[in-house]
Amino acid sequence: MKIVIVGAGDVGYELSKILSDEKHDVIIMDRDSRSLKKISDNLDVLVQEGNATSPVDLVQAKVKNADVMLAVTNIDEVNIVSSVMAKRLGAKTVIARVRNDELSRPDSPLSPSELGIDTLIHPELAAVHEIRLLLKRASATDVVSLAEDRMQLIGLRLKASSKLTGMTLEEVTKTIDEIPFRLVALTRRGNTVIPKGNNQLKSMDNLFILCKTEDVDSFIKLTGHKDEKFENIMISGGSEVGELLAKELSQDSQNWNIKLIEPDIEQANVMANELKNVLVLNGNPTDPNLLVTEGIADMDAFISVTKDEESNIISCLMAKHLEVKKTVAIVSKPEYLPLSETIGLDAAINVKASASDEIHRCIRTGNITTIKALRGIKAEVFEVVASNRCKVINKPLKKVKLPDGSILGGIIKESGETEIATGNSVIHKGDRVIVFALPYAIDKVIELFQ
Amino acid sequence: MIDLMNQNRHRPRIDLTLIFGLLGGLIFFFGLALLLPLAVAVFYNEPSQSAFLLTSLIATGGGIGLFLLCRPTEELRVREAFLIVTLTWFTGALIGAFPFYLSGVLESFSDSFFESMSGLTTTGATILGGVTSDGIQNPAIEELDKSLLFWRSLLHWLGGMGIIVLTLALLPLLGIGGMQLYKAEYSGTTSDKITPRVQNTAKLLWSIYVGFTVLQTLLLWLHPSMDWFEAVNHAFSTMATGGFSTKNLSIAAYDSVYIDVVIIIFMFIAGINFAMHFKLFSGDFTTFFSDREIRFYTLLTMLFILFISGGLWLSSSYTLGEALRFGSFQVVSIVTTTGFGTDDYTLWMPFTSFLLFLLFFTGGCAGSTGGGIKMIRILIILKNVISEIKQTIHPQAVIPLRIGNKIVDQPILRTILGFFVMYLIVFLSGTVIMTFFGFDFLSAAGASIASLGNIGPAWGEFGPVDNYAVVPYTGKWILSFLMLTGRLELFTVIVLFSSYFWRH
Repeated sequence: MKIVIVGAGDVGYELSKILSDEKHDVIIMDRDSRSLKKISDNLDVLVQEGNATSPVDLVQAKVKNADVMLAVTNIDEVNIVSSVMAKRLGAKTVIARVRNDELSRPDSPLSPSELGIDTLIHPELAAVHEIRLLLKRASATDVVSLAEDRMQLIGLRLKASSKLTGMTLEEVTKTIDEIPFRLVALTRRGNTVIPKGNNQLKSMDNLFILCKTEDVDSFIKLTGHKDEKFENIMISGGSEVGELLAKELSQDSQNWNIKLIEPDIEQANVMANELKNVLVLNGNPTDPNLLVTEGIADMDAFISVTKDEESNIISCLMAKHLEVKKTVAIVSKPEYLPLSETIGLDAAINVKASASDEIHRCIRTGNITTIKALRGIKAEVFEVVASNRCKVINKPLKKVKLPDGSILGGIIKESGETEIATGNSVIHKGDRVIVFALPYAIDKVIELFQ
Repeated sequence: MIDLMNQNRHRPRIDLTLIFGLLGGLIFFFGLALLLPLAVAVFYNEPSQSAFLLTSLIATGGGIGLFLLCRPTEELRVREAFLIVTLTWFTGALIGAFPFYLSGVLESFSDSFFESMSGLTTTGATILGGVTSDGIQNPAIEELDKSLLFWRSLLHWLGGMGIIVLTLALLPLLGIGGMQLYKAEYSGTTSDKITPRVQNTAKLLWSIYVGFTVLQTLLLWLHPSMDWFEAVNHAFSTMATGGFSTKNLSIAAYDSVYIDVVIIIFMFIAGINFAMHFKLFSGDFTTFFSDREIRFYTLLTMLFILFISGGLWLSSSYTLGEALRFGSFQVVSIVTTTGFGTDDYTLWMPFTSFLLFLLFFTGGCAGSTGGGIKMIRILIILKNVISEIKQTIHPQAVIPLRIGNKIVDQPILRTILGFFVMYLIVFLSGTVIMTFFGFDFLSAAGASIASLGNIGPAWGEFGPVDNYAVVPYTGKWILSFLMLTGRLELFTVIVLFSSYFWRH
């Protein structure tokens, strides 16, 4: 596919890396020659210096023949204007990234489709949803909602005290027999593997388990992890994500007790006016005195979402030190993600990766319906529809040979019924299948289902 | 980058498995190319068959073995790319030397290597037809088997557009890190791709290259004194801006205005950036004709033709037509770093000879098959001199360096000035070494710049009608090194000799 990306910031970089690795023809445009140089030095894409809102520059970037045009600069207005122009110029699909979700609200006087924009994506909003899921699942490091939230893929870090520690996968299956689940992956010291029956689980392993949403709580209990309800949370930083998160949580059915720290007094005032059920504090989130005075030790969760990633990590570590049960930080530098496990951060949210996830999902054509890259580990979960000609249908799964590095998690029947895959499950045509795959296996899996 | 932290944690700074694995793939490919001269040898039933067969077997077998042994999977990094590219060219020249040596045509391996390196780097300096320093009489060009002559031209042709680019175009093997390799081999200031994916760019460049070669072969073949074999050989040699001919007298042997004109035109074409040819073929005339480098290249060539032909006309017995014919042929041949000859310029009057000597330093456009410093660098350096003058008069002025509508940034300018100084240093060192072997100033300087600039014929003892046989063997290896350094634009090779490269 011919893809034009406008904006060579972090999101643009991440996207052009993913897309060029998938052998798409990528042209990336930006005003800043330095960020372009970084891209042309590292990636196999064509770079083009130009202004995103200049029609002449857009034509030069070959927007006319583009299959997909992605506007991912840091400025909403620029993204919208250049998308509108790209569509007029002949780009087939146009996707724009916006930080403000006003355009896509149902009561918006102007809809994206009226502007000719095919999809609007809100990485910040996606990150907020992700954080919310993590707060509701106290002991999970990752929560991915699948099958319209009827199934969830949860990440669990195995404690030494858990009764599963030391067991082989076969023994685990025997121990927990009342709940259908599927252990799809295991991350140990940064390496992700798809476990086999005789693999032994060790403490500090990160397990990725797929089960039905209603079973998640009981499953976690069976593993020996406490799954308590969170109430008191502290958000550090009134960034877009912080503000959105506070807003969402204060409107939630559950009664949260939210404290938000913002260093800038003006911004703090604005937020205090807007968010009635939130206690807005003006101060430095990395100031231990403030944290202690505000009772950080009583907090269930500490969420650091300032723009400064390093201070996010530091303040989370501080919170962890003060025995906050769960710490979540926004970490967008891909280099830092693998660290999160080592330093004891419970979950790292990557806004840039959320953006590229969303865009990736729009671009992946064919029979894939949902796709989600897991943070920090190189693997993807996706839902794929089994076509009626593919080789996997109408036979029990134990007779199906899947490509190396992939595993079937669950099946969503056309009737809407969900099933956790076992050796005896049978896929019928039209069923959606949840597949967990390492990057090198993704294409092979998709081929298999086509 | 996630991989950097996760999988490659224990990867050495320079991953030798990766390097030798990829090198194996490239050698294998080179071995396949040897099947072409083998076919020629079989067709003419020549004794050199066995030499080609043996070399091809060694290269393909060794290449595959190395590849399978190492199985490269990792991503290439910049410093590894430099090493691979240099090693590939060196090994290529080494393999290329075997047919000359094994067939018994050349007694000394040093001579074989010199000839092969001179071919691959499109230099066109030969040791054929001369007597070496230890008294061995090398056979003259016309005495060689046709398959060996073909191999010399094919070496040119493969090296012209670049072995790496060719491999990139044909084999998906280099999909990983291809970009890094492409850059390390690319000649010119910025390695502009013409399509998003480097493999497609490589394919397009090679198709244009092949297209021009076929066209030129046809045009040459139309002349009665050229048969198919000679037409193909000269087309290979011209498009690669090489300079090997199947005649000892080079193009002068044909003494035909038609052939001269055809070769002048195609040498000139080969000296233009192939990315610009692509623009032209895809209908983008404005970009091609408004390209500052092409304009500068054309203007400079025209000016030198004017002065040199004029000088020739006034100073010799040539008619105006002859002066123009020989003048323009030598000018285009030298400016594009081809090195074909139709006249002995060492016998010209000092004014015209010296003008031609200046052209030894220019080279063609960036991204062409020519060697040398390259037009764009010369243009930017000249413009920089002008803006320095302006700056002296208006100390407060902000003077951007413009090439067309583009501004040349300070880092690029610095790289170019650095390149220029480095070029002079390498040239002067080469000259010093050659004088050490007892050659006079002019011969030594000529040999040094003709090797570094991939031109071929030089001055004094190495004029267009002479050859390099007389250089001592050590000197031949040094000149071969200069050729390689020049072809890979200095830094790709020179970084390998810096301690920073190997330091952890």
